[in-house]
Amino acid sequence: MDAESTRVSTPTVARASTWRRWLLRYEVLLLAVLVVEWLLFYHFGTTTNRRGVTVGFGTLDRQFDILRHSCEIGLLALALTPVILTGGIDLSVGSLLGLCAVVFGGLTHVLGLPLPVAAVVTLLVGAAAGGINAGLICQLRLPPLIVTLGTYSLFRGLAEAFTRGSVTYSDFPASFLTLGQGRWAGIPVQAWVFLIVAVGVWVWVHRTFSGRAFRVIGFSPEGARYAGVGVRGQLTAAYVAAGVIAALAALVYSSRLGQAKADAGLGYELFAITAVVLGGTSIFGGRGTVTGTLLGVAAIAVLKNGLATLPVVMRMNAAEELAGLLTGALLLAALAAGKLAERWRRSSAG
Amino acid sequence: MPLRFVASLLLVSLGASLGWGAADSKLMVALLPKSKGNAYFISCKAGSERAARDLGVELLFDGPVDSNAAKQNEIVENWITLGVDVIAVAAENREGISTALRKARSQGIQVVTFDADAMPDARSFFVNQATPQGIGEALMDEAARLCGGEGEFAIICATLTAGNQREWQREIERRRQDRYPGMKLVGVRPCDDLKDRAQSEATALMSAHPKLRLIMAICSPAVPGAAEAVKQAGKKGAVRVVGLGLPNENRRYVKEGVTDTVILWKTEDLGYLTVQAAVALARGELKPGASSFKAGSLGEFRVEGDNILLGKPFLFTRENIDQFDF
Repeated sequence: MDAESTRVSTPTVARASTWRRWLLRYEVLLLAVLVVEWLLFYHFGTTTNRRGVTVGFGTLDRQFDILRHSCEIGLLALALTPVILTGGIDLSVGSLLGLCAVVFGGLTHVLGLPLPVAAVVTLLVGAAAGGINAGLICQLRLPPLIVTLGTYSLFRGLAEAFTRGSVTYSDFPASFLTLGQGRWAGIPVQAWVFLIVAVGVWVWVHRTFSGRAFRVIGFSPEGARYAGVGVRGQLTAAYVAAGVIAALAALVYSSRLGQAKADAGLGYELFAITAVVLGGTSIFGGRGTVTGTLLGVAAIAVLKNGLATLPVVMRMNAAEELAGLLTGALLLAALAAGKLAERWRRSSAG
Repeated sequence: MPLRFVASLLLVSLGASLGWGAADSKLMVALLPKSKGNAYFISCKAGSERAARDLGVELLFDGPVDSNAAKQNEIVENWITLGVDVIAVAAENREGISTALRKARSQGIQVVTFDADAMPDARSFFVNQATPQGIGEALMDEAARLCGGEGEFAIICATLTAGNQREWQREIERRRQDRYPGMKLVGVRPCDDLKDRAQSEATALMSAHPKLRLIMAICSPAVPGAAEAVKQAGKKGAVRVVGLGLPNENRRYVKEGVTDTVILWKTEDLGYLTVQAAVALARGELKPGASSFKAGSLGEFRVEGDNILLGKPFLFTRENIDQFDF
């Protein structure tokens, strides 16, 4: 699935070495971390409460909570993967989530538009916002970091101005709340949404010309241009898609909480970037996989939600803070381990 | 295998430190403030810890670092997973939190709210820190006491339309008509919850009404705002200031004698009463329809419908303000 995973050129190299190289692949290491995390939390985070009911990490409800709590950040991480592959960045997705949430709230509550219409308009707003990023980056050749730092403030500012910082839209109809609170075939509805987006982005990045173009642009924009890649078109597609997915995340968020407010998704862009980078995507572009991003999202989500099920952590009354600290440590440790594993892999191949 | 050895060592030490099966037989109460760094809620926490000690229950106190409705929901869901016995919440968002609270109740966890209520069907009781009537009467009584029962006074409010502000003004006016006909309300000015704006409104009121005896500030930024205006106009003592606010914001003016009285409630008592009520509910001692409730060392409290009333507001004055830090 990984385009640049190099094939073993000489079949005479010992089998053991191929096996070892596969084991030392970054995604496999990350998967191992995830499994260990999960087993530890399953072991230490599952207890029986005073009423004799099994509670904690080992319950199906908790597993669904993990899906529900990480869906929006997961969507943003999927949105960011193509962008970061091109060597770009989009800091505005969290703010755009907030803007789209209040736009959706305004459309349904102030203008009284029917839900499907409001949802479509919200997705279009997301696309337009992504278009603004793309326009400034492609037409004016401004660095993505600077452009999206600007729209990061701009979109949040618009959301706050739109609601004067104080209006909260709630009272959404039950049919809309299903998206974030209901289940379909026994599984939270937003998990299906996430699955569809994940498959879509995976196919886009790993099975289409665009996906290869993203990597080429990430390695060398000039080279891509000489190779006949429509750099502008590809970049525009990546940023617009990021905008649309951020808008979708806004719908999921509003539905999960039953409220739309200007502070929705505050700081989510950094969590999403963390997940992407933890997933092994190079922040300089060119290298990375959607599978890695999914594993990165899962590793962080399990850590955060797992910690909150440990009685000892609950008694510290600081599950959130500890999760932040350990996420940072996990990111640094994983990147360092990945680097070391790569060296080892090279040396065993050489 | 050294690796396996290290791994098992790690597991054993983790197991020891995490204390598997740590959920002992103590009743577990979880208190969720709007934000856990806020001095107001920190003083609530002190009271709730005292109640937890008195009752021999285990207390969890966690909340968002900033006021964040999404995090509140996640914390409640964490507590549901942990299987606590009772949850007490100061809701950042009424509807938003109610989804999570209903889920908790459906799993046999008792729910009360305090400070800021959720939807009535998402909790059993609301520990109500102050009724509009209580606030209105306390403000008017104190104003009349300071003016000797007669003279002109003016009100600075947040906005002219906010529901709670209008309700308080109605109660203030009713009390004035009932008890203090000699007091005359000469103006009501909004300050948009801004201290600067309150200061300029107070200055304008003083020059428009030279006989003004007192300014009543009914939103928290307006109390120090009005005090600053009175101080700068050199009218300390001639124009009195009372208002609804936090002791810390007003301490300086109260000690200088510019502001006479700051009115609020004892936040420690609010935390104490909340935990007492939560535990009584979980133990089946407090049932819907109760008309009163005995809360440990604080004694009896009135229950109206599903509201447990903290009672009369507390007056912070020069004499007692240093005992409070929030």
